[in-house]
Amino acid sequence: MSKEKIKKQIMNLAPVVGLLLLYGVFMIMGTVKDINIAYGMKAIINQSIVVAVVATGAIFIYTLGSFDISLGASVATSALLGGIVYNATGSLLCMFLANIGVAVFISLFNSILASVFNLPVFVTTIAMLSVLNALVLVLIKVNGTGSEIAVPAEAVKALDTTGFKVLILVLFLVLCIFVFNFTKIGRMQKMLGGNEICARLTGISGKKMAIIGFAMAGIGVGLGAFVSTIYAPTLTKNTASSVGMDVIIAIVFGGMPVSGGARSKITAAVIGAFSMTFLGQIMTLMNFNSGIGQMVKAVIFILVVFVATFNQRSKMLPR
Amino acid sequence: MKKLLAMILCIALCMSTVVGCGSTSGEGNAAADTTNQPAESAGTDEDAEEQTTAQGGMDAVAELDMSKTVKIGVLVSDSTTAESLAFQNYYKEYIAKNYNVELMYSDELVDAAGEKSAIDTFITNNCKAVISFSSFDRMAQLNQCADAGVYYAVATGTLTNDEYESVKTNEYYVGAIGPSLDVEFQAGYDMAKHYLDQGKKNFAIFGGALPYYTEMHIYRAAGMLMAMVEAGGEGANYQGATDKDGIVGKIFETATIETGSIGSINILGYVGGYDMDEAWFAKCGQMAQMDGLEVILAVGNGSDFFGTSAQGTDVKIASVDAYASAYGEAMEAGMLDYLAGKFSASIGPIFAATYRAALGSPIRNSEGNALALDQGYWVATSSEQFNEYYAVDSSVESPAYTKDMLDTLLTADYAAFSEFVGKYSFDDIKAIQ
Repeated sequence: MSKEKIKKQIMNLAPVVGLLLLYGVFMIMGTVKDINIAYGMKAIINQSIVVAVVATGAIFIYTLGSFDISLGASVATSALLGGIVYNATGSLLCMFLANIGVAVFISLFNSILASVFNLPVFVTTIAMLSVLNALVLVLIKVNGTGSEIAVPAEAVKALDTTGFKVLILVLFLVLCIFVFNFTKIGRMQKMLGGNEICARLTGISGKKMAIIGFAMAGIGVGLGAFVSTIYAPTLTKNTASSVGMDVIIAIVFGGMPVSGGARSKITAAVIGAFSMTFLGQIMTLMNFNSGIGQMVKAVIFILVVFVATFNQRSKMLPR
Repeated sequence: MKKLLAMILCIALCMSTVVGCGSTSGEGNAAADTTNQPAESAGTDEDAEEQTTAQGGMDAVAELDMSKTVKIGVLVSDSTTAESLAFQNYYKEYIAKNYNVELMYSDELVDAAGEKSAIDTFITNNCKAVISFSSFDRMAQLNQCADAGVYYAVATGTLTNDEYESVKTNEYYVGAIGPSLDVEFQAGYDMAKHYLDQGKKNFAIFGGALPYYTEMHIYRAAGMLMAMVEAGGEGANYQGATDKDGIVGKIFETATIETGSIGSINILGYVGGYDMDEAWFAKCGQMAQMDGLEVILAVGNGSDFFGTSAQGTDVKIASVDAYASAYGEAMEAGMLDYLAGKFSASIGPIFAATYRAALGSPIRNSEGNALALDQGYWVATSSEQFNEYYAVDSSVESPAYTKDMLDTLLTADYAAFSEFVGKYSFDDIKAIQ
């Protein structure tokens, strides 16, 4: 193997190596500080899983070189409507279907709106963000106590296990890996993200791919809303408020090129989500307060992205 | 090849975390067992307490071993308001420096999921207890702590009666010390009565989080309306209601305060919520400058939202919040006339109760129930009075509740603890000091 190829392999594996490094640091510091590592691992899964699920679906959007800023608000809306459905029917299955249905509807609405008005999807998601934030307030005011919509904790307690949540993530991840890596949809999406003009000339429909991408992202959002609800069944206007930004960070942290294209990786979402949480836990172990912790995270984030994209910079395909 | 490797690593990570979780239950139980030890001894103490209480005497709590540092998690839902800053200052600058404790703070929490994540982090870091300033889902917080064998206490405010009934015998629930809804009602009542006694008749009300059904704000507003009904003369009522329950019910029905007359008393204006946008601030400004307005009664911070508009007029502003320098300046500038404020050291007794629980000596009443004690506000009606209170409240050398005073709570029985907390007025505390 040539030196250049080895270097390329190392660079490509940087996010995975970064995650393993963070895992190692957490384990070492945890042992030194005598924390409850087993409980800590459970906490890390709980804290990562929603972002990991939503980000995994969002990879399909990012691969197209597109961007959805309304994912967090979409999770909140989907969770709240799911909560309302549960309170009306008493059925977790109905709640689950409502979560998925609402999220896919919102996602498809975004992409169809962009197609109809021929706008960049990013623009429609900005508008959708405002609409969904307002809708969240209305839903809470109309259907809740004014400040929350609560699903009874006893109803979701049986599902609030690490195993169940990991199962959801793994199943969705396998589905996404299959669609992304083993069907022509993934290849077409990568080509669209890499060079849209070229992709069109080969007969790939951008609109069709956008709809499929957003539908997959919608499923991720719906699953994220479901997991969010079983983890914390008291839903407020701030539910999932940080998810939107965390998804973006996780995807980039996991080594996904922001421009999408051929180098897109479905696993980037999971790697990024877990890396972020490990980093957060390490900051806590180092007794960094929130402000300093955020700054250190930001510096590490930039370093990771720098290393991960080092070998890509001068080789960008023409857009 | 690299794709395959990344996939394998990813799946391996997921599998290892699942395996880790499989062993978590075992190890987690082990951790819970460790933390259960004090609880078991607490149970013994509790039995002894019940026996001695049954004998009608003061119980002597076993000597506490304070040689080991105790980690306590603190859930923070607000890190910018005067009240939260004062509370944090007392814990960081006084409690943490005078007791063998390590206080671990959460980030500013915005939802129930955040609370749960923060408690997970506390448990991971071997916190023996959690003191909560966050109230998105208190029952979930308590259940999570209890499942992990960690003590849980409510820092300010109290649980509703139904909530308390459901958790009062939970061995990991330390209790709550703070203004109950009755105290909140009384705070609003006293505030309005202060001005009604001066002959004021034209009021406006700021409802704070009342539109979001925040109970403490609803009860404060109800107290104000009750005082107006009493002062309004024969037949005075608020939307047909003439008693406490009726008025509270009316507010819950509409989540607003209706303007109009209550007998001879007038409610000229009302603003609720914390929209904080331009339209909302404009509404606040308009209300403060209404013709004939004499007093703005705020269920929360009033001077920040109405002070500038009311400055230079005869309109008086009354607030409920905490003792902070900003309010002293507002009083001197004529932007605040009445302050019912929490004092920062008011969270000292709940710390003492939590600390002793973590040391293996939780305090329970004779029926084995957790603490549920009322604590009210210090009321300042002049700049001089405010400054006198604030000097004590802001002191980190000799705060309202000093270590010597709190130490007595570490070995006090329920009756003595309750008596101590009940004497919360400035004069009472000075007398104890």
